[in-house]
Amino acid sequence: MTLTGRTLSAGLVAAALLLALAAPAAAQGPIRIGASLSLTGADAKLGQYQREGYEYCAAEVNESGGLLGRKVEFVVYDDQSAPATAVRLYEKLITEDKVDAVMGPYSPSVTETAANVTERYKKVMVSPLGSTTSIFRKGRKYVFMLVSPAEAYLEGLIDMAARRGLKTVAILNEDALFAKSAARGAADVARQKGLQVVFREAYPRGHTDFSAVLTKLKALNPDVIAAATDFDDAVAITRQMRELNVSPRMFGVTVGGDLPEFYSLLKQNAEYVYGATQWEASLPYPRQREFIEGYRKMSGREPVYHSAAGYAGCAIYLLAVRRAGGIDSDKVRDELLALSTRTAFGDYRVDQDGFQIAHKMAILQWQDGKKVAVWPDELANGKARFPTPPWGQR
Amino acid sequence: MTRGFLAGLGVLLVALALYPAVATGYGLRVMLQLFMWIALAQSWNLISGLTGYVSFGHVAFFGMGAYTTGILIVKLGWVWGVAALAGGLTAAGLAFVIGWPCLRLKGPYFAISMLGLNEALRVLASYFEGLTGGGYGLSLPTLDASGPIYYAMGGVAVAVTALVHLIVTSRFGLRLMTIREDEVAAEAMGIATFRYKLYAFVLSAVGPGIVGGLSARDHGYIEPISVFPIVTTITMIVMVLVGGKGTIWGPVLGATLLFSFQELVWSHFISLHQLLFGAIMVAMVLAMPRGILGALRQRYGLPRTI
Amino acid sequence: MNLVITPTMIGQVVISGLLAGSLYALVALGLGLIFGIMRVLNVAHGPILMLGAYTTYWLFSTVELDPYLSLLVSMPLMFVLGVLLQKLFVRHVVDAPGLSSLLLTFGVAIAIVNIAQLAFTSNLRSVESLTGSFALGPFAFSKARVVACGFAVGITAAAFLFLQKTRLGKAMRAVSQNREIAQVCGINVQRIHMLAFGIASALAAAGGSLVAVMVAIQPGMGQVYTVKSFVVIVLGGVGHYPGALVGGLLLGLVEQLSSLFLTTQVNEAVAYIVLVLVLLLRPTGLFPGRSQ
Repeated sequence: MTLTGRTLSAGLVAAALLLALAAPAAAQGPIRIGASLSLTGADAKLGQYQREGYEYCAAEVNESGGLLGRKVEFVVYDDQSAPATAVRLYEKLITEDKVDAVMGPYSPSVTETAANVTERYKKVMVSPLGSTTSIFRKGRKYVFMLVSPAEAYLEGLIDMAARRGLKTVAILNEDALFAKSAARGAADVARQKGLQVVFREAYPRGHTDFSAVLTKLKALNPDVIAAATDFDDAVAITRQMRELNVSPRMFGVTVGGDLPEFYSLLKQNAEYVYGATQWEASLPYPRQREFIEGYRKMSGREPVYHSAAGYAGCAIYLLAVRRAGGIDSDKVRDELLALSTRTAFGDYRVDQDGFQIAHKMAILQWQDGKKVAVWPDELANGKARFPTPPWGQR
Repeated sequence: MTRGFLAGLGVLLVALALYPAVATGYGLRVMLQLFMWIALAQSWNLISGLTGYVSFGHVAFFGMGAYTTGILIVKLGWVWGVAALAGGLTAAGLAFVIGWPCLRLKGPYFAISMLGLNEALRVLASYFEGLTGGGYGLSLPTLDASGPIYYAMGGVAVAVTALVHLIVTSRFGLRLMTIREDEVAAEAMGIATFRYKLYAFVLSAVGPGIVGGLSARDHGYIEPISVFPIVTTITMIVMVLVGGKGTIWGPVLGATLLFSFQELVWSHFISLHQLLFGAIMVAMVLAMPRGILGALRQRYGLPRTI
Repeated sequence: MNLVITPTMIGQVVISGLLAGSLYALVALGLGLIFGIMRVLNVAHGPILMLGAYTTYWLFSTVELDPYLSLLVSMPLMFVLGVLLQKLFVRHVVDAPGLSSLLLTFGVAIAIVNIAQLAFTSNLRSVESLTGSFALGPFAFSKARVVACGFAVGITAAAFLFLQKTRLGKAMRAVSQNREIAQVCGINVQRIHMLAFGIASALAAAGGSLVAVMVAIQPGMGQVYTVKSFVVIVLGGVGHYPGALVGGLLLGLVEQLSSLFLTTQVNEAVAYIVLVLVLLLRPTGLFPGRSQ
């Protein structure tokens, strides 16, 4: 009897082993995706949001059984917002950690440099937040864009101004890659739509006292002031416009106007100000609700567009892998080039350079303490309040 | 120098020369970065360690080299090696033009005016957009040259260290160190202090210029804030302080220690990075003002040529 | 539509420049005090200003203390910090060779900024208490800036009076002019050094509390003030304390006017260009002979 018992247990062990071998999810280990993000340094805050987007994406796919039967796992390093560090970290991810795939870093300038590494190793890199055109127009084959380009940020503001018959626009911008591109885009659109650009000036990063430039703007009295900003300068300009009583009929900023802090700092002075955003929780995109609720549960805070972009960038990459049936770079690349879809972040379709052509920016306006999407028409959930009244009456 | 030391050095150099054959892409890049830091720290040592003129803006020469090289490659299609050498030359030219007035300033006045030079250059690089790309940055054509750049960067590190060795063991070096100890006395002894300071300053700009050019080629994209960051100057200073300013091997030691520490340990405690930097600076100034090598030298009576 | 610069515009910009300049003067007076007395350039001066601004922010956001009342907290707090810095660190390197003191305060500055980053995060903070402006003829006056200017002038004047009239102030000026002789005269130089560091830090803190109402507060906000203060004391003449007021106002004016006539893009470099020019053309400041 003992003999039979032994045989039996041996048989059981063998069967268990066979089963284990047959289950690829357990045997192959997870699909590891590497990324370097700006977790400290100048872009720390936004890089953190992007990381949470990535992590939520991985958590979501793992909950529904993984990708091709394997779990997805992120290997994230901190590049301190420095391009030189990011280059080294992508090299480390690819040659030492031997990750299966990579995702993009945070800022455009870091993406510019990191793409040189990923391109050399022929790794597909979906860049959720690389928003400057030049990254994608250098003949690179494996880098893919998700957001609208920087040049499109102020397009909506100018378009709305043109439709209301306004004639003159003044453009201000921070002296940095993103803001300059946005300002250039605004100037081009203004010319196309027949508006006259009466003033353009750049100011250095971290600038706090705008009285001289606003004094010039007050004298010119343009119909529209379009400012390509970061957060703190957007607040400072708005505040000092009030102090110097500069009151154009429309005033819009790029980054900053979409953040809740913009209103909590400026209160009623933020009313009527236009902001531009790549994504907004209130926009009618598919699976938007699930994403927002799941993200809130995971991180304990509301997602911003950097979170949503991180999430959607990862989701689109995983979708392409699923369609390609594996992580082979060239097959995934073909899928990404052919893909046309709409995620919680909006539309995705790229041209042959991997340059985004379907995603739409939205223009928001602060109305009674709430952000209302007022442009483009198909995404709008309210009407713009126009024109902006003088400062005392807001 | 003893024979054993020379033999050891030879073996090390041969090992480093063969390293690319076995290195991963990451390993290569780490070493390349180390060479860069050695060249930068050693160059800072050349002016600030030897003459006592503390430069708070030495990264200006790095940026100058980076932009020269970038522009020559992008606009004129130069080969990167030649373009990087040209970067060293323009950096030296800048040092001459700036040193002429600024080396007459003493102590903190010189230090802060160098900081000013760096800021002014960064603003100029943003302003002259047609040439530099301004805030858009300057995008170099894609090229994989990590291997050759590894050797070039290593070559610069060796050359600058050899240069410091040459200077320290020469009359020129003695004159510089006399200036450091007491400039008025040096002048009274008949040393043309201004001329020697200027020589040292110009020489100290060449290394950062070339290294800046090589980095620009390696990264393939430069913008004003990425090539004129004050933190690079801070890092150079801390490396030299740790190793021992005014010594030959101190900057090499300091750069190696700090950089390895950074790669191995700090990458896990990144948020404490700057705090540690600051603490090291304070601790070195208070407890070991001559750095590790300086302290060893004093304690064991080692020769000046370490 | 071309931009014509009218006298009104120049007037408006001059007002802004003077308002900003009074704050520069306040902060620079502190830096100049340390530099005049010890020949130590305190790079941590700006970071101390940043701590002053955070003090105001936290008092405002937790117990809703009026930002101007918070001066009564931030100034003594930073006075103590300044005395400690002198006692623990700077004292050992006041006369050390090779600019040790400069490197030391540089290290302290980096550490303070990083600690602030860890403790307060890099999130931008702001104190919204006094907004808007009032008009005087064609000119607009920002309320926050006018009040800040008033406080700055008041505190600067008080500091001058202290230096001119009190025994302690006279002792400080004596140490600033000749340390050895002051020592022989029975002045406790170590004590004077600590006091100077304390007062200087309190002045920086006052600057921080006042700018807190006007600009975004973040750990890196202070550094620029170290450099601008240095420019101001070079303009005014080292050791010549009233020079700081003139230097501060001048720097404010030059910055604003260059933004008006040239472009804001070069604004950052203006202070440095002024510095290098003054150092080369008038190395003893704009008031030679009157400084020590």
